Amino acid sequence: MSTPPNDPRVDELRQRLRSLGYLDAGVDRFVLGPATGARRPASLAFLSSLRIGVLAALLLAPAATIGLSARMPNLVTGPRDALVVALYLGAFFGLAAALAAFIAGVIVARVSRTRFAHGNRLPRFIGIIVTLLCLGYLTLWWQTVIADVGWSAPVWTLSALAIAVATSLLLGHAVMVMASAIIVAASGGGAAARAESWTSMFLTGTVAFGGAVLLLTWWPLGNGSPRTPPPLTIVPTGAQARVIAIDGFDSRVFDDITRTRPLPALRAALDGATAQLDTRDLSDAGRIDPARVWTTVATGQPPAVHGVHGLETRRVAGLLGSVPAREQSPLGRAIRGATDLVRLTRPAIASGVERRAKTFWEVAAEAGLRTTVVNWWATWPAPHDAGTVLTDRAVLRLEHGGALDAEVSPPHVYDALRTRWPELKGQATALASAALAASLNGPIDSTIGDEAAAVVLQSARLDAMQLVLQATVTTPATDLSVVYLPGLDIAQHRLLGEATGNEPARVSALSMRLEGIKLYYVMLDRLLGSTRSAVANEILFVITEPGRVSADAGARLSIHGVGVGGGPVQRSGVDVAPTILFALGVPLARDLKGTPMLELFNRDLALRYPVRYVETYGPPAAATTDKRGQPLDREMIDRLRSLGYVR
Amino acid sequence: MSAAVPAFFGVYQAKTDRLLKQLLPGTGGPVERSMGYTLHAPSKRVRPVLTMLAAELCGGTADHALPAAAAIECVHASSLILDDLPEMDNAPLRRGKPANHVEFGEAIAILAAFGLLNEAYAIIARSYEPALGAKLAALLAEAIGGDGLIAGQAADLLATEQKIDFELLERIHRGKTGSLFNASAVAGSMTAGGDAASIAALSAFAKNLGLAFQIIDDLLDVDGNPAETGKAIRTDARKTTFVSFSGIDGAHQLATELCEAADRALAPFGRRADNLRELSAFVAARQT
Repeated sequence: MSTPPNDPRVDELRQRLRSLGYLDAGVDRFVLGPATGARRPASLAFLSSLRIGVLAALLLAPAATIGLSARMPNLVTGPRDALVVALYLGAFFGLAAALAAFIAGVIVARVSRTRFAHGNRLPRFIGIIVTLLCLGYLTLWWQTVIADVGWSAPVWTLSALAIAVATSLLLGHAVMVMASAIIVAASGGGAAARAESWTSMFLTGTVAFGGAVLLLTWWPLGNGSPRTPPPLTIVPTGAQARVIAIDGFDSRVFDDITRTRPLPALRAALDGATAQLDTRDLSDAGRIDPARVWTTVATGQPPAVHGVHGLETRRVAGLLGSVPAREQSPLGRAIRGATDLVRLTRPAIASGVERRAKTFWEVAAEAGLRTTVVNWWATWPAPHDAGTVLTDRAVLRLEHGGALDAEVSPPHVYDALRTRWPELKGQATALASAALAASLNGPIDSTIGDEAAAVVLQSARLDAMQLVLQATVTTPATDLSVVYLPGLDIAQHRLLGEATGNEPARVSALSMRLEGIKLYYVMLDRLLGSTRSAVANEILFVITEPGRVSADAGARLSIHGVGVGGGPVQRSGVDVAPTILFALGVPLARDLKGTPMLELFNRDLALRYPVRYVETYGPPAAATTDKRGQPLDREMIDRLRSLGYVR
Repeated sequence: MSAAVPAFFGVYQAKTDRLLKQLLPGTGGPVERSMGYTLHAPSKRVRPVLTMLAAELCGGTADHALPAAAAIECVHASSLILDDLPEMDNAPLRRGKPANHVEFGEAIAILAAFGLLNEAYAIIARSYEPALGAKLAALLAEAIGGDGLIAGQAADLLATEQKIDFELLERIHRGKTGSLFNASAVAGSMTAGGDAASIAALSAFAKNLGLAFQIIDDLLDVDGNPAETGKAIRTDARKTTFVSFSGIDGAHQLATELCEAADRALAPFGRRADNLRELSAFVAARQT
């Protein structure tokens, strides 16, 4: 009968005794530890709730961090960000759990003298509720994670669910212990928290595990569709796509100008097959936000999917990533103001960090096409290995110099541009001046006044800079070249938007400003005329959008080139990206909101290159290009403020 | 560790014996004599001592806790009489003497057991103000009732000559021993107006100590000396005991660890709980 002390049976019995609440029932002592001396149920509830909050923070924060990282790619850029996010979420969950436990404790104290509180019934009931809530929450969190990483790792899923079950049971037990202690304090009863037997705990855990698996598969979000993007195989149409995005373009003003002055380059660009784009998908409650609009155009997805809701976002203290800052509700604005005030958050500009969908040039690059993109909204930080990307911060970086902070990709392009920067800048200035000279019939000052002249010239230099950069990085072999021109929108907003937003301007001043805007159309025409040279097999896509001032004018897509014919059609802004990808022979993702505008192409082309589909493009790449330099966050905000984008 | 009863026990034992003698002299008719026979048999009075120590630890006095301690000892004596009956464990020897039913017959023994139970509630009702008395009575009822002594004894009887799992064995021990240990500690704390955290700590102490006490009981049944234990050995041979699961050495080891865990539960009280720690050391090393 004698047994050596290191008999494995003793080890097993020790574990089973622990599960029955003997030996070191650490959680119980931890939960009730600070309550020594507390005689009132409320103070016991308060002190124990704090400890439960600590437990919840430690148990839930890691899971929540993983889930949030999956929901917001690029938010967690490394271990440091993960730690900071976990701390934030830990604080959040800790406070929330402590508050919930305290409320539960107060309720328990109130009903402790009732029949329902007799024995262990009430604590057990509350423990079960907490366990179920926690398990449901963790399971759905995990679902958001696997929605993006796919179902390819069942072992991970089973492990995660097992951890979720253990975590939930532990928290439920902690709350049960607290409830028991409160009943003792309130009624003087002697019911101490009674541990469940090893067998019943095992059975409960098994049932909970099964429930979590069912919830995971049954919940509507978890449709089980494969989310791992398949490789993209293109069927080349032989076309080279050139995309020009003109912000602030009002077709009524354009038509008005062309009655008196020819605008050949713009006219050529805008002729061809056209589609009027429904702006309901593009605006936010009637307000045009450029980051939101142009990301919708670039991704073929609505803002709810692509995640860029507005130009202004918030950077959370300690994190490299950022979070969206929607201003729709007074509560949201109040929270934003409060967190800004305590420096927990600070203003930032929309970037690729918030974007959860791939742009059409990223998809094309992934399919093996040579792509360049210049100055599109929310392109910083430039992803690694997604063609040539000159982000919306590229000009700032080129001006400031120094090491890259992912403003340009690949890095060698930055080196080349930086070496030639004075020359390129000179080219842009000369181009803008030449365009201005070609647009004027007399001295600029007398035509539109000093103020408007300065605005027009500054905007023209900005657009010229983008066109020069595009011409520099685009080669005849480039399959897709994209440029975004903000000048017209900036000029329009500063000359009309800001003026009408304050006290009424004099009619003569307004007239000169209007003249300034008209002049800008002419300048833009000259700029395009002098920089654009069509290549063989080109399809030119010109996307115009009325901008912040003329929101009601309507957006438009114009296409001309090989294989183009048909139209006009009425479509949505989300249809632009699939249309461009179709023209390049790239398969379309079934989960894209937009569909290609086949009506704008010859029947021949559509028959020869039928639309092919893949399940998904997947989320944007998390890895960014070279990111060692000083971030230009402050400079970016100052620049956008000077251009009238942010206040 | 020593098998000797700690020195401080004497004071508390004497207080308990004195009050029990005063309340139930054990003279008169057969039922009274039968009650006294078991109640005044030589005993260490572990439970009453635990009650009084718990009261002192929570700022009360041993004297104020004494009636509660005596009531608990009455309940314990009652459970011993019932436990030894032929329909139950059929044990012939208890506390070095013939079992109660052997001495007085089964009918009188059963009546004596009921009499002791009754007396326990009477002591509580007579000794404390109504509010505290009601709480203590509820505590006793819970320790005796369907989830306490009775449940433990029922499970024990049903499991006789059957192979049972460890969880069922624990439930039996929790009911038969742990519940009254827990009630002893909690009752002492309640008479002193102890707070919830103190009650929880003492409850954890009693829980671990109670199981250790029962494991040692199982061990004494296997290799104890009847002359020292005062009862026949190997009476539990038909039953699954803790020793069945862990062996003798393993049972000794786990009993020691349970006593250590009981000590750790007293951490919030600091050095003031040293007497209780001595009690757990005594339980771990007891030979009788």
